[in-house]
Order: sequence, then structure tokens, then C-alpha cells
Amino acid sequence: MNQTIQGSRLALRDVEKHFGDFCALKQIDLTVEPGELVCFLGPSGCGKTTLLRIIAGLEQQSAGTLQQGETDISHKPPRERDFGIVFQSYALFPNMTVSDNIAYGLRSIGMPRQAIRERVEALLTMVGLTDQTRKYPAQLSGGQQQRVALARALAPSPGLLLLDEPLSALDAQVRQHLRGEIRQLQKQLGVTTIMVTHDQEEALSMADRVVVMNNGVIEQVGTPLEIYQQPASAFVAAFIGAMNFLDGAALDSHRVRVGNHDFSVQTPVAEADRLCLAIRPEDVHLLPVGQGDWDGRVLAMDYLGAFIRTRVQLEGLEPTLLVDVDPRSARQLGLAPGADVCISLPAEALHCFAA
Amino acid sequence: MLESSLKVAPLSPAVQRRRTFRRPGLFTVLLGAGCGVLFLLVLAPLYSLLSKAVENRDGEFVGLANFTHYLQMGGIESAFFNSLWVSALSMVIVVSLAFMAAWAITRTRLPWTGWIRGALVLPILAPSLLPGISLVYLFGNQGILNSWMMGADIYGPIGIVMGSCFWTFPHALMILLTAMENADGRHYEAATALKASGWRTFWTVTVPGARYGLVSAAFVVFTLVITDFGVPKVIGGQFDVLATDIYKQVIGQQHFEMGAVVSILLLLPALLAFAADRIVQRKQSASLSARSAPYKPPHNPGRDWLGAAMLTPTLVFIVAIIGMAIYASLVTFWPYNLNLSFSNYRFDLMDGGGWGAYTNSLLMALGTMVLGTALVFFNAWLMERTPQSKTMAGFFQFFALLPLAVPGLVLGLAYIFFFNHPDNPLNGLYGTLLILILCTVTHFYAVSHLTAVTALKQLDKEFEAVGESLKASRWRVLFTVTLPLCLPAILDVALYLFVNAMTTVSAVVFLYGPHTQLASVAVMSMDEAGDIAPAAAMAVMIMLTCAGAKLLQGALRAWLDRATRAWRRGA
Repeated sequence: MNQTIQGSRLALRDVEKHFGDFCALKQIDLTVEPGELVCFLGPSGCGKTTLLRIIAGLEQQSAGTLQQGETDISHKPPRERDFGIVFQSYALFPNMTVSDNIAYGLRSIGMPRQAIRERVEALLTMVGLTDQTRKYPAQLSGGQQQRVALARALAPSPGLLLLDEPLSALDAQVRQHLRGEIRQLQKQLGVTTIMVTHDQEEALSMADRVVVMNNGVIEQVGTPLEIYQQPASAFVAAFIGAMNFLDGAALDSHRVRVGNHDFSVQTPVAEADRLCLAIRPEDVHLLPVGQGDWDGRVLAMDYLGAFIRTRVQLEGLEPTLLVDVDPRSARQLGLAPGADVCISLPAEALHCFAA
Repeated sequence: MLESSLKVAPLSPAVQRRRTFRRPGLFTVLLGAGCGVLFLLVLAPLYSLLSKAVENRDGEFVGLANFTHYLQMGGIESAFFNSLWVSALSMVIVVSLAFMAAWAITRTRLPWTGWIRGALVLPILAPSLLPGISLVYLFGNQGILNSWMMGADIYGPIGIVMGSCFWTFPHALMILLTAMENADGRHYEAATALKASGWRTFWTVTVPGARYGLVSAAFVVFTLVITDFGVPKVIGGQFDVLATDIYKQVIGQQHFEMGAVVSILLLLPALLAFAADRIVQRKQSASLSARSAPYKPPHNPGRDWLGAAMLTPTLVFIVAIIGMAIYASLVTFWPYNLNLSFSNYRFDLMDGGGWGAYTNSLLMALGTMVLGTALVFFNAWLMERTPQSKTMAGFFQFFALLPLAVPGLVLGLAYIFFFNHPDNPLNGLYGTLLILILCTVTHFYAVSHLTAVTALKQLDKEFEAVGESLKASRWRVLFTVTLPLCLPAILDVALYLFVNAMTTVSAVVFLYGPHTQLASVAVMSMDEAGDIAPAAAMAVMIMLTCAGAKLLQGALRAWLDRATRAWRRGA
């Protein structure tokens, strides 16, 4: 049995959703390519789940169109759309065995018995649950339930797979493991997949492209690397990973003044009185006194395993700066709370945002 | 191969629009129909009743003249205030006793609590006429314990309060048990860790934890007593209360408009209690969400004895009342021939409809059970599990809960006005078994509805969405998932409706016809005619039937529990 699925292309145009006066989604424009895994990432209440439910047809958009493949699905009820969905709770039917759960959608479309049996078997093999067929969901572990939900969603070979926080109900270890498994399965099948998550690590490690959302708008769409290295807005910069923000003013298109120090930046900035300079803690250089641009003092050090997050108070600047150093450099610098240090901010790592 | 069968042919925009809006439309129409049915069964009859109260005998509008007339007759001073103080006193006694019993069951290590609980809720299986009859045998003029009355008369407020306490006790107990079983063991551990004494823990942890239950039980008991007709009918004597006053006005004197006036007076306190209870319930649901560790009572013999001391009087009282009724029904001729026989069970020799009335009751109870359970569940499903606008769901919820505020007598009288009206196309129903069934379903709709809604709310809210994504209709999800998962609740609702249909007197007393006499009404008529022993016998028959139904339902639930253990508990 051929297990690959022809993933479909999904195009959203100017999708909006209002709940009374509240605008939950504004001007959502997005194209998901066939076979792509896209993550909707954002804080709770940003509209990512609403958008997923609109794609599924479980909510009706207030305006805009949705196209899946060649078909306009804007006004189709969920049953006439082509997707499989896995919810955070899995919503497995507790009164049915694993096989019956997986076969549920196949029976809906009137597949012959023999074909159903073969398809269910193939799916069970695919998710590695061949020995659990007669069990009920309550008899399975969380991770196993998750796989059954996935197999059930994939059973009718949908062109689109929707995952609503599929891993958030699981322990950290199982989650790590399933991340890789889902990604591998998705690649192998070639099914277009949209995953909603609030976990940035999950989004960055699994997605082909990440859609960062906030307050009902898309802040940025890009590969995990783009999102991390070239955040398009201060929100994205702050939401993904750790980021230091320093208030400053533009001197010219390549120079910014923060406190009484001037820094050069690579990307040209609009000349403005107020803007915001941002740098990731791992991009700040920590140097012995006298060798950097700006003197400071170590306030606190948190050992986070592979690196040490150091809080530095810069001279003449109120907000403290986070700097990540590896333990070896820390030893060489003789870092300790109260120690004097010097920092430099490399131009290529500096981001500029409107304040 | 799969993909091809899933492809849906593109549709023209017009067809698309229709298909989008048709499907939710169907469910909206169905729930609209549900609202319509309840409108016909609750609101329309109530409206007839209200309008009757402001009309004279010839149907002319007379404003509040009927009310003024009732006031001048002294009805307010006697019946209205009598009802209020008797209900308030019963409420205080029942809630105190039920709280003590619930404390003993949940906070001590008394043995056999399963049996004790079973015995304490027995009164729910008996018609409210039964305690009245038993009390006559115990404390009446020829009663075996007449000397205990010290010259006071059991016919009157004393009898009403005692009888009301008997049959409303299980209602209060069940509410309080639920409230107290949900206690968080960690609160008790915290109190112990903070060196609080047992007494202080009781007042700072136990009582606050049960406060919503206490308030709710108080409202429920008050409403039950003030709207009850069975107890005051049998043992009220010359002591007027609103419920018996309605009956006298309507059946005794054919003053329908005065019956309507008294009904409204009875509706007021019931509506107030209903509204207050809903407000309290709303607060409670907010406080019950936290996860808690179950409480385990400490090992403490002194405490256990205290619990036993608090339980025993109530237990003895309940068992004595039931035992007395059974004994009285078996005694050949009280108090002259105390030989036991079944002569009182030859109902065909008495007034009141004989065994035919019993059969009618059984048919009516079965009909109420089947029709009621189906109607309640289907409507609750439409409201909870299909796409409905907030307004629509709100309307339906209002219609579904309204019967809780309408006393049975008021409902029955309203049915006369509405269904017996010559211009009503439905008046063919009048005098049939069907109207008795419809009235009883309506009378007990609210509690059934709440049970069904609670069960449906517990299901994963995404079942229907998953079904849609798997191309299964809501109907298929209903029959393959929702109904199987709700079976325990369905059985509970079925039993609740059956038992109440068997035991109710208040609503149906106005509605039965020559061919639809009922067992519970027969108890009343036989008692009225002085055939007290056969009345006791019929009351016992009703109680036994309900007990049989309860056992059958218990067996079904146990079987269901075993059959579905694998998927319920993962064992």
C-alpha cells in the first residue's frame, strides 16, 4: 500500500475574524506550500488557534478567502474539507479500541472492510503500535494516545494535517521524542501540516517555516533561522529566545547612540530620536577590563548547564544586560559576582527596531 | 485510491452558500422546536393561569379583584403565613439533621455507611402521602405512640412538619453529601499542621466547604415543603396551607379563579427560592474547579460514636415511618384485629380505581420515563453539542429550568386552564394518559435536564470536530460516541423520572380522568374516604415498585460498569 499523500497547497487571503467588537484576526495572508510543515507560534490569545479552526472550518471567518489546492473552501463545512486534525486533548473516542478509533474516518467514507483492515494495520505499523490494537485509549500512555490520534487523523489520507498543540499534554522527555517522530512521519508522507504551538523550541526544531503571531496579526513568516537571526519586529525578537533591548537614538544611517556610547550597525537605520537596539545574550562579547567598548560590573550569574547567563550592570545605563558565556571563558575571565568586566557589541549582531 | 473517493466536485457559489448554512440551520430549527415544545408545556399553561387569576367566572377582566377578595377572606393571614412558617421550620430541622448525617457519613469511619445511606434515602421512593398515613398510625388518636403527643394533635402543623421532614430529608442529604464528599483533604492537613483544634477545623474548614450545599439544600427543602400537597392533605386537619387551599378552592368549591390566585401566591416564594438557588449555584461552580486530594477521616472512636449518635435518631425515624406503613397495610383491621393479612391489598373493593389505578400509574411512569428521557437528552444534546447561537441556548436553558420554580399543583391547574380550553386544538389530550405523561415530564424536566447537561459537558468538547474532520455526521458521533458515553447518566435520568412519576400527586391530581386514575391519587382518595389501611397498602405498593425500579437500575448500572470498565478506568 502506498503511504505517501499528495499534500495540498493552502492559500489564505485577507482572512479576518471578529467576535463582536473584538478583532481576533486581522488581514491574514499566508500560503502554505505542498508538503510543508508550518508552525503558528505566539503567546496565548494571539489568534493562532482561531486561525487553525478557521482553516478546519470549525469557525467561520468574518472576511477573506481560503483556497486548498484548486478548490475554494472559504464557505465549505468541515466535513467537505480535506484535512485531518489532532487536538491537544486528542479527543480519542474512549469507548472504542485503538483500531476502531483509527478506522472511524474510513468507515465514514464507506471503504470496504478488507481495505479498512489493511489500512489500519499499515497505520499501526507506521506509528509503532501494532501490539496495542485491541486496547482502549484509557489503557495507553499519553504518548501512545498521541500516536493513535495522529494515525486516526492520517487514516483517510488527508491533504492537510492540522495539529493543535499536539505535544503540550506530554512530559518533557516524551515530547522531545515525539517531536522527531512526527516530523519524520510528516516528511515521509509528504502531507502539508500546520501546527499550532506556544512552545518556541518546538516550533524552531520542527517547522520548515514559522508564522509568529501576536494580537491577531502575523508578525513574521520565515524559516526558524530567519526568525531567530533576523527578527522582523521587537515582538518577534523578544518572543523568540532571549534578547537585550537598549533604548537609543540614531546619529546617522549606520550609527546609534546608547547612553554615552556610539555603536555602528550593519543594516541602515532611519534617523530617529528614539529607537531600540537589540542584541542576543550570546552575541555580546565579554572581555577583560580595558579591552572592550563599555565598562561594567557582574551582578549575578546563573548556571544553566552548557552556559552561564551573566547579568551585567553597564556604567551609566539603568537596565542590566544579559550575557551568555561558556564556562571555560568565564573561568579565563575570572567571572564572579562583583567582578569588573568590559563588553563590546559586534555590529553584525545588533538589531534595530523603532521604539 | 483514497484521495479519489474524497474529492468533492466544485459547487457553484449559490449551492455552496446553501450547503454551508443548511446544516447548522437544521440543528437550530430542532432546538427551536425544543423551545416550542417547552413553551407549550410550561409557559403557555402558566400564562392561562395568570390570566385566569385576573378574570371573573364569566371570563371578564377584573384586575386584582380576586386577590383583594382572597385577602378579605383572610387567606393571606392563614394559608400564606402558615405555609411560610411550616416550610421554614421544616427547612431548619431537615437541613440540620441532613448536615449531621452527611458529616457522620463523610467525616467519620462508621461501618456500613453504604447501607445507612441506602436507608436514609428510602423516603424518596415513597409518595409524600405515606409519611402522613404512618404518622396517623403512630401518633393519631388510635396510634400506638399517641401518649407521646402529650395531648397535642398530630393533625395540624406538628404532623405536617414531621411528615415533610421525612420525605424531604433525602433531597437535602444528597445535596450535602455531594458538597461534603468533594472536600479537599489538604485543607484538613493544613488545619492540622497549623494546630487547629477539631472544633475550630469544623468551623473553618468543614462548614465553609459545605456552605453552598447548605444554602442549596435549604432552598430545595423550603420549596419542596411549601409546594407539597401530599403531607398536608393527609395530616393537615383544619390547618390551612397554600397547597391544600388551592385544592379546596378548585376541587371542593369549583372556584377556579381563586385557585389561580392562590397558585400565584404559591408561585412567588417558589420563584424566589429558585432564583436565589441559581445565583448560589453559579458561585459554586466557580469554586469547584480546583483539583483536590480526597479527604480520609482520621481513626478516632470518639468521633465515630458522635457520628453514630447524630445519625441514629434520623435513621430510626425513617425506618419507623416506613415500617409503620408496611405494618399498617398488613394489619387486618386496626386496632381490633391485629392479625396480618393481605386483605387491604384488595384494591378492587375500594374507591379510587383499584388495581387499574396501579396499572395506569405503571404505564404513566414508563411513558414518562421513555418520553422524558428521550426528550431531555435530545434537547440537552442539541443545546450542548451542536452549533447554537448564545441567545438560542440561553432561551432553551431558561425554558428547561423554569419547571423547577413551578409547584406541581400550579402546573396541574395551569394545564386544566390551558388544555381544557375549548379553543385549544390540543384539548383532545385532556383526560388521557398522554397529558399526565406530558405534565409529569414537564414537572420533573429541570433536574433531568441539569443531569443530562452535566454528563454532556464532561465529554471532550472536540469529539464533534474530530467527527467532522473524519467525515462523520453529528448524528453518527451522537450514536457511536456520545450516547454510549452518557449511558450511566441516561439510566439515572430514567430512574429519576420513573420514581417521580410513580410517587407524584400534586400535578396529576387535577388532570386524571375516569379512565386514567393513578395509584398515588388512589392513596389520597382512599384516605379521604376513611380507608386508611388500603391507602397505606397502595402507598407501600408504590414504594415497592420504585424500590424494584431502583434495584433494576442499580443492577443495570453495575453491569454497565463491568462491561465498560476497560475503557473507563483503563484496568
